[in-house]
Amino acid sequence: MAPGEKIKAKIKKNLPVRGPQAPSIKELMRWYCLKTNTHGCRRIVVSRGRLRRLLWILFTLTAVALIFWQCALLVLSFYTVSVSIKIHFQKLDFPAVTICNINPYKYSAVRPLLADLEQETRAALKTLYGFSEIESRKRRAAEPWSSAWEGTQPKFLNLIPLMVFNEGETSKATDFLTGQKRKVSGSIIHKAADVMHVQESKEVVGFQLCSNGTSHCAVYTFSSGVNAIQEWYKLHYMNIMAQVPLEKKINMSYSAEELVVTCFFDGVSCDARNFTLFHHPMYGNCYTFNNKNGTIHSTSMGGSEYGLQVILYINEEEYNPFLVSSTGAKVIVHRQDEYPFIEDVGTEIETAMATSIGMHLTESFKLGEPYSQCTEDGSDVPIDNIYNAAYSLQICLHSCFQTKMVERCGCAQYSQPLPPAANYCNYQQHPNWMYCYYELHQAFVHEQLGCQSVCREACSFKEWTLTTSLAQWPSVVSEKWLLRVLTWDQGQQIKKKLNKTDLAKLLIFYKDLNQRSIMESPANSVEMLLSNFGGQLGLWMSCSIVCIIEIIEVFFIDSLSIIARQQWQKAKKWWAQRQAPACPEAPRSLRGQDNPVLDIDDDLPTFTSALRLPPAPGAQVPGTPPPRYNTLRLERAFSNQLTDTQVPAES
Amino acid sequence: MKLSPNWTEGETRAQRGHRAPLKASDRSVTRASGAWEVPAVRGSKLSFLSWETPLPAPSFRGCLAGAAMQVKKYLVKGLHRLQKGPGYTYKELLVWYCDNTNTHGPKRIICEGPKKKAMWFVLTLLFASIVFWQWGVFIQTYLSWEVSVSLSIGFKTMDFPAVTICNASPFQYSKVKHLLKDLDQLMEAVLERIVAPEPPGANATRALNLTLWNHTPLVLIDERNPHHPVVLDLFADNRNVSASGSPAPGRTCNAQQCKVAMRLCCHNGTVCTFRNFTSATQAVTEWYTLQATNIFSQVPTRELAKMGYSGEQLILACLFGAEPCSYRNFTSLFHPDYGNCYIFNWGMAEQALPSSNPGVEFGLKLILDLGQEDYVPFLTSTAGARLLLHEQRSYPFVKEEGIYAMSGTETSIGVLVDKLERKGKPYSQCTANGSDVPVHNLYRGLNTSYSIQACIRSCFQDHMIQNCSCGHYLYPLPPGEKYCNNREFPDWVYCYSQLRRSLGQRETCIGMCKESCNDTQYKMTISMADWPSEASEDWIFHVLSQERDQSTNITLSRKGIVKLNIYFQEFNYRTIEESAANNIVWLLSNLGGQFGFWMGGSVLCLIEFAEIVIDFLWITVIRLVAFSKSLRQRRAQARYAGPPPTVAELVEAHTNFAFHPDTANHGPNPGAYPDEQTLPIPGTPPPNYDSLRLQPLDVIESDGEGDAI
Repeated sequence: MAPGEKIKAKIKKNLPVRGPQAPSIKELMRWYCLKTNTHGCRRIVVSRGRLRRLLWILFTLTAVALIFWQCALLVLSFYTVSVSIKIHFQKLDFPAVTICNINPYKYSAVRPLLADLEQETRAALKTLYGFSEIESRKRRAAEPWSSAWEGTQPKFLNLIPLMVFNEGETSKATDFLTGQKRKVSGSIIHKAADVMHVQESKEVVGFQLCSNGTSHCAVYTFSSGVNAIQEWYKLHYMNIMAQVPLEKKINMSYSAEELVVTCFFDGVSCDARNFTLFHHPMYGNCYTFNNKNGTIHSTSMGGSEYGLQVILYINEEEYNPFLVSSTGAKVIVHRQDEYPFIEDVGTEIETAMATSIGMHLTESFKLGEPYSQCTEDGSDVPIDNIYNAAYSLQICLHSCFQTKMVERCGCAQYSQPLPPAANYCNYQQHPNWMYCYYELHQAFVHEQLGCQSVCREACSFKEWTLTTSLAQWPSVVSEKWLLRVLTWDQGQQIKKKLNKTDLAKLLIFYKDLNQRSIMESPANSVEMLLSNFGGQLGLWMSCSIVCIIEIIEVFFIDSLSIIARQQWQKAKKWWAQRQAPACPEAPRSLRGQDNPVLDIDDDLPTFTSALRLPPAPGAQVPGTPPPRYNTLRLERAFSNQLTDTQVPAES
Repeated sequence: MKLSPNWTEGETRAQRGHRAPLKASDRSVTRASGAWEVPAVRGSKLSFLSWETPLPAPSFRGCLAGAAMQVKKYLVKGLHRLQKGPGYTYKELLVWYCDNTNTHGPKRIICEGPKKKAMWFVLTLLFASIVFWQWGVFIQTYLSWEVSVSLSIGFKTMDFPAVTICNASPFQYSKVKHLLKDLDQLMEAVLERIVAPEPPGANATRALNLTLWNHTPLVLIDERNPHHPVVLDLFADNRNVSASGSPAPGRTCNAQQCKVAMRLCCHNGTVCTFRNFTSATQAVTEWYTLQATNIFSQVPTRELAKMGYSGEQLILACLFGAEPCSYRNFTSLFHPDYGNCYIFNWGMAEQALPSSNPGVEFGLKLILDLGQEDYVPFLTSTAGARLLLHEQRSYPFVKEEGIYAMSGTETSIGVLVDKLERKGKPYSQCTANGSDVPVHNLYRGLNTSYSIQACIRSCFQDHMIQNCSCGHYLYPLPPGEKYCNNREFPDWVYCYSQLRRSLGQRETCIGMCKESCNDTQYKMTISMADWPSEASEDWIFHVLSQERDQSTNITLSRKGIVKLNIYFQEFNYRTIEESAANNIVWLLSNLGGQFGFWMGGSVLCLIEFAEIVIDFLWITVIRLVAFSKSLRQRRAQARYAGPPPTVAELVEAHTNFAFHPDTANHGPNPGAYPDEQTLPIPGTPPPNYDSLRLQPLDVIESDGEGDAI
């Protein structure tokens, strides 16, 4: 006999009941508790005394509860991220740098288009604030604008009248053109002035936007006339410029040769050809250095002499007096495939100054679904990108607004690109677009359009942290020779001697080549989760996946099979009872079960049982079991020893 | 005689002790296996001993042999203990292991029915492989040396950063005029030539010192005919070396048609290149800087320092917190780009000053006088103070990282210390102090700490010295080298511009230099306001003039005066600290977690497993030995055709030296040995009185049942 089988037989003997063969659930539980790998259960069965048993039940249940709690915590915290910050010192790609003049178009070129508007603005200023002439610029004095006033009917002021409101009674307004008081209907929206209004003025300036056909009107008031006039002017300006074709606008704006006087990058000269044109509706011609067409420049040294140095020509005489009130240029540092949002972000550069901008590059990578809501390339955002650039949150919001604008107002807003099959708004085609635009903009700001909830941030982005500092340039002693040479450099572009207030110097460079990358990585992996589960299970109950399978086996499969069997037997019994009167066998079988003699199988067959003789009447065989003399086993021990030596003979 | 009873006793004890859990099967196992294993082992042992016996045995050798015997005995005993595993067959061993191990799966394989047994076998194998796979993943993760980052933001008392202040102009023009006289005249002439449409009078150019000019002249490249660009020397008319026939076109061309370029030559003007510029401004600036570098590099540093702005001149007022300070609190450092720079709180000689409060009142307040009227006109076109905040004991790279402060304004700088502390090897390639970087740090001469900027500049200077055999003026010199100048190294400009343009040199330097593990950046919030205000202008200038010059007149102007406030912000530090993401504790707990989760195992289970493996090996060894023994025996039987010697015979052969086996007596009856009667012990072992032991009831019962089989 093979030893393995012997052992098996032995184990079989040792396990009195096995799994589904157990007669009842209680037996099964008892067997489970004794034999399971899980700790705790065994203690419940083995412990003596009710209190101790109760305590062990309590402990076991607590442990189970703790396991569930901790594992739930582990599962809930599964989708968290850990952040790592790395620094690389390496050759860095220089970012794209977009430079715009704050003034979009040369005033001399654009003036014929805006002549009427300018006249009316001046007239409004005169009426509102009582001054007749702007004396600041000589050239404007030559224009005979005031004489034209009487002849033509003001068309802009009729379209959107500027009004003076009394703060106390906002429903009454004075139309300054006619001088009549009139009743104003509709909601009044008060725009906070960013210019601080100090004196206690009873009068506020605003304008009324009405939608044609309906009587819906909205009145916008401003606490300061500066804002009111600028906003009013801007509305009309956009309306006029929207009708001008792009090529004409580009020609009216500055050329790269005009804007960039000198250019120096990484110790090598560059010129206007290194800049690509980018037309911005509100800023005119902007020029991007190091754009994506052509090779991308990179720097392998930090410091100002290895970065971009440009001297910009900013001709203040060509500035539009109502549209822009500051002088200088705007610069924005961005990725090559990114759209430069000049109007939103950007650093302003002052004239007669050297602006030095030191950069630090930080790269961020976020994890997408399911860790956060960010998007890789915007393809899963239900907004069409109307910009010819890579996805960003800004682009999404602007696209969303523009799309909504086309939907609701039927035309597109001027300062953003055109969606396919749409036109820019103007009075001729869309008479009440302004009211619509203001309504929509209000809704957008108050997050009623749903753009903010639909648009998601991009997962990876590069950020250049800028440190800006200013210095006087040119210095007193170098001013003379520098301006002379710069005038020569500018050559035929301008026919005048340069002044230092026409120039601005800009230095953009990497302070050092340390690139910080902030990366998110999953804090937990499946392995970690499982091993944490294992740790929890092991700590509280010394349990493993085997125990769980055991539990499933015992509590579900075995228990169910036992219950099923019992039910089956019950049903059979019930059936048998029902059939009892019909079936004469039933009582006999019952009697047979009661008779313990017939059930003893283990006992060695006695003479009687072997011959299947009926038991002797009155014999009490099962009642007196043969005594078990343990002492008799002494000889068995002997025989054991003897077999050891006798084995060779046996085999 | 003594040996054999000991053996048997030890053997039985070992068997009993080891197989305690298998009480019932104990006897049967021994019965089954003892049949052929035990004699084989004994046989092998005895053969080992018999190899020893033929040695001659004198008395002292006998003593030695006795000791050897003792050791051998001990070894043999140990061997027997070891080899007494839980069984003598593989299967027995496996079954024993599965039944008794603490790992959860194997037990189920044994105690279930055949179908479930198969299932459990598969499950156990599956789980074991999962465990090993996951272990592999974890160990791999551990060996990838990842770091986790902790970020802390707040305010604490910190050392105030070192503040380096320079004037944008390196020298006072009044003091360097004598050095730059020739160059300035030349420069003015050049500007005239470029800008003015008519050539100036010949007598004006006569006075020029053309030796400077001839070394690296500026030329005009006339590109009106793009296929045949004409190169014109700016002073061509009086030197008659012009390449073109007529000098006239040079006078009429403007910036769009003519480009100014610098001619760089080496080998006595035989090999020349042109460095082109798109604007004349840059061309003349670069040219002037190059020439000035050449001049200044021949002057010893000590004299150069005297020509710069003195601390007393530059720093008019200083206040740190509530304590007044003066220019004496500043360390002077000569910077090649900016002349004399002054460093506050450098921490070289004394302890660094701490600042324990945020806000302007507790920071550094300075009033500087730039002396803009005395700037070198052609060298610097930007006026202002250069300012850099840096760590204590680090070299200020003002040109790269510094900011400007404008004259006539008050510049307020709020500081946030952004510190990154990284783990070194094996987590990242950073260096703690630069000692493991293969570049000699030239800035170490100033006792400054390592930084990657220093390394890259040192590397460049090394290349410069290798290629051009002289050092560049802007970087420190290694011992025994000289700065480049036109007189001694006529080719250096050519060489330098070649080197600077070569990308390979930069790549090598970037590849060689490592970033340092601690990286501190000072994040600045800069704001500016006009200063002094118009109302206060008068008295402020009066007071400052009085203090500086002891004069009652105003000697200062708005153009030259700078006010600086440097202070800690409300949150003054942001520290990013790296720590090992996966340490050994992490690894162990995860290994344990995985093993526990899938199989409920622990290290003890591994030891169990190792034990079983050893037992396996033992069984294999024993079997092999038995096999070879049986082979030999069979061969011996074939040769002698006699029965094998009995145990008793063999034992006697080694214990009794006088004993010689009776080789002649090849009787078929092996029981005819005379010793058999005198050796009763193996035949009748002492009785085992089980009844005398107090055994638990169930064991006895099970024994009883076992008997019933």
